[in-house]
Amino acid sequence: MSRFLISLVAGLIVGIGLGLFLGWVQFPVEYVDSPASGLSQRYKDDYTVMIAGGYVVDRDLSGAIDRLRILGVDNAPQHVQDVTERFITNSRDVDDIRPLVVLAEGLGRLTPIMEPYRQVSVPGQSS
Amino acid sequence: MSGYASVPQQEPARKYLRPRFYLNWVGVFFGLAVGVALGLGYAWGVNPVVEFDTEPWQLRDADKAHYVVAIMLDYTYDGDLNRAVGRLLDLRLPGDPIQEAAEIACDLARTGYVESNSGLRAIRSLMTFYQLQGKSGCADTLILMQDPEATAVIDVVVPTPTLIPPATKTPTPAPPAGPTATPFRVIVPTSAPSQDFVLISVSTFCDAELSGVIEVFAQDDEGEGLPGQAVRVRWEAGSDTFYTGLKPERGAGYADFTMQPGVGYTVDLPGQSDPTTEPLAATPCTTDDGERVVTSYRVVFRPG
Repeated sequence: MSRFLISLVAGLIVGIGLGLFLGWVQFPVEYVDSPASGLSQRYKDDYTVMIAGGYVVDRDLSGAIDRLRILGVDNAPQHVQDVTERFITNSRDVDDIRPLVVLAEGLGRLTPIMEPYRQVSVPGQSS
Repeated sequence: MSGYASVPQQEPARKYLRPRFYLNWVGVFFGLAVGVALGLGYAWGVNPVVEFDTEPWQLRDADKAHYVVAIMLDYTYDGDLNRAVGRLLDLRLPGDPIQEAAEIACDLARTGYVESNSGLRAIRSLMTFYQLQGKSGCADTLILMQDPEATAVIDVVVPTPTLIPPATKTPTPAPPAGPTATPFRVIVPTSAPSQDFVLISVSTFCDAELSGVIEVFAQDDEGEGLPGQAVRVRWEAGSDTFYTGLKPERGAGYADFTMQPGVGYTVDLPGQSDPTTEPLAATPCTTDDGERVVTSYRVVFRPG
């Protein structure tokens, strides 16, 4: 009888370990129907770049702020400034930095580090 | 030989003959099964992995729609079709991602999303995207690609006729100064100008030799080029008008315009057509050879 109990406990310990490994590592819970506020930082940044690109075309500041709200950011200008400065600091793609700088400028968040990335004014362009 | 009678040897019980294992396999398997069940229950139900790296495909439908709108807005900026499609694929939309974009535009067009200019513009970005890829959706019928031009109202001042008084034999005293008739205004609504031409297509291309060029083709019903058609290009701070047929080697109905990077342009045949719905943005693109140039556009007008 004791042999059976020892075997049971041993199997239980190994089984729990195996179950935790499977449940946490191998087949973790995958969430669907998540809010955009739960997006990983990479995709939040990507989304912000996309909104900035749209802003460059339509100059719709309130629309851009509305669209950033779904990321769960309370302070959209601060968020844009943070992303822009991080992109510049990390030497990210200039084609992504430029629209971010335009949006940051539109939100009144143009900082000295962004100055070199401002688009040069050309005839027919306001900025 | 001994004197003992030989006693037949009895076989020991079988259980004593079996090899001794320290573990009881029944117990092990039973414990293992219960343990796995308990472990999974804890890992999935009681204390699941904390979600912190959500990917776009995990978003709820409403936020997926917002994400698609963002993709389209960025597409209007950079004109990078590969990038836009790649981002749509990240969403793991069921079926053809471009057709799904059309469905999302359709859904948004049915909601209050269109009540703001910003939302309307976003849906038009979606429509431009999927229409250029040969797709269609219900938004095509729900949303006009362009705002109807407000009916122009002009004030016409119509003077009241003053009759010459008949001659009298006796002078009449001057009439007392009274109110005099003043011209009154008639408001005459004008009808929208008739459209001689309609915009047939707007397509993009990325060519190192034709970087940042708007190619305009004015054609008749048969697709033959029409020379001498005035073409107007407008941007935020100005406009330019030029004529088709000045480069006969490109066709009688051909005209082109070189864009400045980063500027958005609209094109029309002044007085004869509506302008392009969305600004044609002079955005960077990458040629097949990997060269970074500016996106070019091909715009075709035909009689409406």
